[in-house]
Amino acid sequence: MADKTIKKDQVKTMLNKIAQSNQLIAPIQVDGITLFKPVQSGEGVVLDYQNALVPPKDYFFPQSEKMFSYDITDPSWAIKLAEGVPNRVLFGARPCDVKSILLLDKVFDAEFRDDFYLDKRNKTTVVAISCNECRHTCFCGAFGISPGEAEGADVLLTDLGDKYLVEALTDKGVSLLANFSDLLTDDDGSGKAAKEKAVAPAKDKQMKIDMEGVKAKLDNMFDHPMWATESMRCIGCGTCTFVCPTCHCFDIVDFNNQSSVGYRYRCADSCQFANFTRAAGGHQPRPSKKERTRQRFMHKLRYFVDRYGDFGCVGCGRCLEKCPVNLDIAQIINKVKEVG
Amino acid sequence: MNKVTENLRKTAAKLLQDKEVEMVIGYGLGSEAVRTQPVFITSPEDTEKLVWNSFCVNGLTKYLSDLKTHPGKLAVVVKGCDSRGIFRLTQDNIIPRDKIVVIGIPCAGQLSYTKLASKMDVSGQLNDVEEKGDDVVIKTTKGDFTVKKSEVLLDKCNTCEHHNPVVADHVVGDAINASPTPDSYDEIKKYEAMSTEEKAKFWLSQFERCIRCYACRNICPGCTCRECIFDAIKPDWVGKEIDVSENELFHLTRAFHLAGRCVDCGECDRVCPMDIPIRLLNKKLLKECKELFNMETPGSVEEGGSVIGQYRLEDPEEFM
Amino acid sequence: MKRLLEYVGYDPGRFNARWISGSEGQKWADTTKDMTEKLKALGPNKRFSK
Repeated sequence: MADKTIKKDQVKTMLNKIAQSNQLIAPIQVDGITLFKPVQSGEGVVLDYQNALVPPKDYFFPQSEKMFSYDITDPSWAIKLAEGVPNRVLFGARPCDVKSILLLDKVFDAEFRDDFYLDKRNKTTVVAISCNECRHTCFCGAFGISPGEAEGADVLLTDLGDKYLVEALTDKGVSLLANFSDLLTDDDGSGKAAKEKAVAPAKDKQMKIDMEGVKAKLDNMFDHPMWATESMRCIGCGTCTFVCPTCHCFDIVDFNNQSSVGYRYRCADSCQFANFTRAAGGHQPRPSKKERTRQRFMHKLRYFVDRYGDFGCVGCGRCLEKCPVNLDIAQIINKVKEVG
Repeated sequence: MNKVTENLRKTAAKLLQDKEVEMVIGYGLGSEAVRTQPVFITSPEDTEKLVWNSFCVNGLTKYLSDLKTHPGKLAVVVKGCDSRGIFRLTQDNIIPRDKIVVIGIPCAGQLSYTKLASKMDVSGQLNDVEEKGDDVVIKTTKGDFTVKKSEVLLDKCNTCEHHNPVVADHVVGDAINASPTPDSYDEIKKYEAMSTEEKAKFWLSQFERCIRCYACRNICPGCTCRECIFDAIKPDWVGKEIDVSENELFHLTRAFHLAGRCVDCGECDRVCPMDIPIRLLNKKLLKECKELFNMETPGSVEEGGSVIGQYRLEDPEEFM
Repeated sequence: MKRLLEYVGYDPGRFNARWISGSEGQKWADTTKDMTEKLKALGPNKRFSK
């Protein structure tokens, strides 16, 4: 489908139209923080944000979700699977977060297909927005992600000043755009030409990290003393894992409050928690912070590559901004290059 | 390099050289110009890593709890607010007082990373920082920036009770004679004055945001239970499910477990990634305990303990 | 505890702490009756529930 453009003052109308036949998830301000939330219309949706604090992975892999419920008074003891989600549109995902969804696909849509994830994934149309600016903590370029491309999204918008460039990337995207084709104008080529200039600041101003050779070094650094030093300051909270767009470890717990009805849910768990790897019988393969800190960086930068062929980090910078003790993945990567 | 940093390094080096301590826990330069990170120095040569500047926001006393079985003594760098955490740990018998060597640094206020990031380019490395009256001049590899101190000060520093540490075996800076500005709890009173519905709406919106990362619990010198109630699965006191009712239970329970013990170091508030105003909960209980039990901020003196855990004849008896 | 719950928006009538000895049966009955009436008027509590 040919590229289109939409005037900025029409975006709210577009969102209103989307909200009529889909659940719309878009970035809004909550107590001064930008978060992706379901909204009823385009009212209140923010467009001048850098990125949401919590990544939209929450809408594919929620922090907690019910899996099924049971009622033992039911003579058939039937298990009632959790309901799926309605058709929905995720609006405003940045290229780094879009890449993270592709990475999560590798985990949840592989030899074992995770139905809970896939239900949400298949029913969601992703409308991404390119980055014109970046945060001081961004470094998506290190992992081959461009602020102006969003492979994995269905539609990509780029802010060109008074209008957005609208590129349909998939058939799903084309179908979505058909709902408000009256708001779209064909791009005569000038929009596409202006895109490169529009996203240039995001490419230039972000942290530049060269990942060349890092994986190879990490392959031989399991016993390197740097993990003992760097991990000393970690406080073992789950901040980095919970704000990370690619982290996906979870726990499965049953809930029953002394009644005949109960349910099983899964919830995000963090490899940084002390009890994460504690097994029945008390054995603890990651007994100290050293093992757990090492695990975090190895998983993102080495094991994920071994298993899925791609780095598990997208350079969004949330973890290093929010870590209370300044455990900075960019600094770790530079250290690995230096001492590995 | 400022005089305090010089004294700090000298003191730390001597402590390590004389083998008086096995480790010095202090601040080192961070990965961005306006951040510092906790460093753990074990040899005199490495004391070059220690710094003191306006970005030393972390509270380091909690590490003493993790390292309590470390052989030998531990030295730790504390500001006024952190120093109360030392007494919290010793009063709770987490670590004996004679295992700690306290290096105290009088502090005139620390600057907030988030506030600074909105006013200047914080990437790059720090060259120097100078306070010139109301202004702070921050010189980095990405340029020099001048900001107004009052606009970037950590909120908690506006009501500082102890500029000078309440305990120190070595003091490496000049004592600050500015009178403390203890909290008159005006902010808390504002929240107390809200109607029941407004309060419920406000707090539920805060609890809904919680992602149960437990950063607040892990950084707190008062949270030292061997098995935290929130980690226990048998019995399952608080479910792992992340929804507003479990989150509310977490915050209220933690606040209550700290009632009468919280030393008001403000770290829980700073570390929260979701900007939940945890200090509003802890300070509320601090205010109540001060009024009910006529106590000082916990950790201000060496003797003491939880007022709620002790019985005195003069305790109020509203419930009789 | 009562003050903390009040502060986060619970109606003050929902929480009551009272010291009652085993031999103060009347006091116990009165307190319970009182609270039950108050709570019925307030209606079910929606928080802390799933």
